[in-house]
Amino acid sequence: MTAGPKLEIGLPALPEGTASLTCRSVQSGYQNKPVLHDVSFTVDTPSVYVVLGPNGAGKTTLFRTIAGILRPTYGEVLIDGVPIGQQASRDRLHYLTHVDGMPDGLTVREGLDFYAQVERATRSDVERVLDQLEIREFSDNFISKLSAGQRKRVAIARIFLREREIYLLDEPTANLDPKVAREIRTLILNLSKDRIVLYSSHNLFEAREIGRYVIALKGGSLTLFDKMENVRAAHYIVGVRTLEPTTALDGWERSGDYYLREFSGPEQVPTLIRDLESRGVKLREVREMENPLEDLFT
Amino acid sequence: MVVGRVSLVIGCVMVGFYSAAFGLGGSLFTSIGTVILPIFAVSGGLGGAMVFTNDRSKGVLEYLVAYGLSPRRILLNVLIAGLVQVTIVLAVGVSAGITTYLLSGNVLTPALPEALLAYTFPMSYATVTLMTTVGVFWTSLSSPRAGMNSPLGVLPMLGVIPTAVGLVVALAIPSHAVQIVLGDELVVVLALVSLLARTDRLMPPDRLLSPA
Repeated sequence: MTAGPKLEIGLPALPEGTASLTCRSVQSGYQNKPVLHDVSFTVDTPSVYVVLGPNGAGKTTLFRTIAGILRPTYGEVLIDGVPIGQQASRDRLHYLTHVDGMPDGLTVREGLDFYAQVERATRSDVERVLDQLEIREFSDNFISKLSAGQRKRVAIARIFLREREIYLLDEPTANLDPKVAREIRTLILNLSKDRIVLYSSHNLFEAREIGRYVIALKGGSLTLFDKMENVRAAHYIVGVRTLEPTTALDGWERSGDYYLREFSGPEQVPTLIRDLESRGVKLREVREMENPLEDLFT
Repeated sequence: MVVGRVSLVIGCVMVGFYSAAFGLGGSLFTSIGTVILPIFAVSGGLGGAMVFTNDRSKGVLEYLVAYGLSPRRILLNVLIAGLVQVTIVLAVGVSAGITTYLLSGNVLTPALPEALLAYTFPMSYATVTLMTTVGVFWTSLSSPRAGMNSPLGVLPMLGVIPTAVGLVVALAIPSHAVQIVLGDELVVVLALVSLLARTDRLMPPDRLLSPA
């Protein structure tokens, strides 16, 4: 394979505002052990919504509840006002589980044929995703013989057999090499142009790169739902690397090649750059040293 | 799926060999052979439970539930898969037994179809259905694991025991052999119906999820 999946995944564009997903006072869990507590939010704009939280925060439970696998013990999940328990609502979303969900004993093609039957898709849909995800070359291999990246690619191909309006992707890039992870991020971004994508990850840099909204969970409760740009670190620290040693930054804290200083926010960065350049500092890199999403894990 | 195919092949080979051997024994096939056949059906019918256990750990069932398939429908499909396999095993066994039975100069009597219809077929289907149902419920209620502690490790024994007990008791009291094996069959069917009636409680959707 020489290239990643095509950037255009071939699904017809959906009109804006087609679907809305609402969690209303959702309490959910396993065998009467509640995991989610009073989770409420509504998403109705096509975009990437990053679901974040430490291990055990309830991310997978949230996805399973939205997907209709777990029934809320209180509250409800609605798609355009229709409860998720109804097949009409289930048919409007795709769920990529944190394990790939592909039957080991089948070949890639057989596995996709099986899911095509479940999804009421056609053989031509299978052929289409074999090309779009560039998995045709190993389509006759047993799924059990595939690498982690190939398996993930096949699992993702499955969710493109039929179009949906809402996609739940539970750690789609976990345990993948950087190249495949980058390809999948591109797919997610492309998908989010006219579809709602809820996506969980432990990779905060990735989350910040592709997420437009943040849904943060902690201890099963919703702690934040906001635009990514509004998520600020408690301490805004800027790191500066220079091409040549300079005395202009004497007094700044050092960390490796970086000179560090805390500012009140990103709005101060353009002034900082102008100031340093006017003092003859040859800048190689200016970057934020703290990922504000890290604070959601403390 | 692969484990299911292996189970089916093993079942077919075993049943083909032993049925052929019983067929050579003449009346042995119409008496003991037809009573023992359900034991071989068990080995061939394990595939449904095996695939269920594997699919659960791989997240296939989680996806199917998310799509809207109810646990009842998943169980039904697993049972159908097991019963199809049993049908294949029985077809191989009966064909091999009758072929060698006739080739060794014996003549078919009404006793053979009577034994097959009254005991061999219903007992085979009932024991495999019972075994698969127990395996599915047990898997659903327990954490994923492998080996003899897992449902798959003990399922063959569970499937063989009803037939073996009926056979031993019938041999011990030959005067009531027919009543004993038919009673044995009835017990298996009642146990199966009793279990299936508790499907919703023993197989809730959240027990079909892959390990987190």
